[in-house]
Amino acid sequence: MAKLSFDDISIKAVVTTAGDKKLKIEDEASKFSYDEKSLKRLKRSMGFESRYVLSDDSVCTSDLCLASAEKIFEGLDIGPESIDALIMVTQTPDYRAPSSAIIMQHRLGLTEDTIAYDINLGCSGFINGLFTAYSMINSGLGRVLLCVGDVASRFAYERDRNLTPLMGDAGSAVLIERGGGSRSYFLLRSDGSGYRHLIIPDGGCRRPFSKESLELRVSQDGSVRRDMDMYMNGAEIFNFTIKVVPTMFDELLEFAGMGKEDMDYFVLHQANRYILRNIAKRLGVSEDRLPMDTVSIYGNQNSASIPGTINAFLSDSYSNSSLRSIFAGFGIGLSWGACIVDTESIFAPGIFHYEKKERE
Amino acid sequence: MKLQEFLEELQDVIDTEMELEPSTPLEDIEEYDSIAVLSLMSFFDELGVDISAGEFEKFERVSDIIERVGDVVDG
Repeated sequence: MAKLSFDDISIKAVVTTAGDKKLKIEDEASKFSYDEKSLKRLKRSMGFESRYVLSDDSVCTSDLCLASAEKIFEGLDIGPESIDALIMVTQTPDYRAPSSAIIMQHRLGLTEDTIAYDINLGCSGFINGLFTAYSMINSGLGRVLLCVGDVASRFAYERDRNLTPLMGDAGSAVLIERGGGSRSYFLLRSDGSGYRHLIIPDGGCRRPFSKESLELRVSQDGSVRRDMDMYMNGAEIFNFTIKVVPTMFDELLEFAGMGKEDMDYFVLHQANRYILRNIAKRLGVSEDRLPMDTVSIYGNQNSASIPGTINAFLSDSYSNSSLRSIFAGFGIGLSWGACIVDTESIFAPGIFHYEKKERE
Repeated sequence: MKLQEFLEELQDVIDTEMELEPSTPLEDIEEYDSIAVLSLMSFFDELGVDISAGEFEKFERVSDIIERVGDVVDG
């Protein structure tokens, strides 16, 4: 049973770097062949408004995460030699092999004593990554740098009207270390029977990349994509979410012996406004404690969406107060998880946008 | 739930001005789109009726939805 608690481990810093280029839905509408009426409906229900992507195709998730990590080193005045492990959660690594985390160890100037590897997860990635970091510290490490994110705009085809208008690019870095006193609670689950509902079919070993991977496929609703791109069955994912997410909150709160009223914030994976509004209604939690604007401004940032929401909308609260939060991620896999953590005035500046540096 | 009550609730869930009858073809409802399907799935879940997303593709008329919720509508 994947319900666990940890003592005396805490988050010290959360920094997110988003793409530098803002795309407005009005400017993209023709690509997705929306008429005026459906565009209006999508804006209202789904929260389609704008998204931030990288303007430079050669920039990767690791570059966004490195920019975020460097801000943490500066902000907390800590050196790279103090990091014991670097975990990178992404579905858009630099290369198919090796793990991006290992290249990042070198680029960040971490010592050879660093443990470094990638975890392939999306929407639930922040929770699973945080769990890995807490577990490592529980096993004896002092300080773990968790990097999460995706250049999500790049794995969805530009004419996929279900997925592409939601996809934003972002990479976060989160510093976790021993200390802080309080107890944290985690609940993690997986259900591979739904793996087809969110998938990049081609390019792995099961279906290697071929000429057919590039063929345009038009679905019933007029969406266009190729088999090398991400596919989403939105209705199935929505159905899964409303079934598992509210139950997960109840179970985790019961495990922790706490109630919804004990939580300052519910920071959820920012899938789309429609899902978040539905979950908030089921939980009976108002929008001031369950933020849901991230998709409308930045897009769905995948595993970076929880840190991204903290940096973009809750920076003051997390920087200046003691908070008890429940974080929850759910989606691709299918995989879902939640945790309850206390934070004490952490380093959580407002969201940054990527600025290209001259590479040495 | 009485049939008339259910039809009114359905109208609200689909977010349409159109008055619904059991014989109404779903394709005649302008608002019956992918978002309406999500709302309907949430509605089914609230009613305690388990349904998969694929089933919606087979629905042709309002009566198919009524039939699928079963005992929820009682007359």
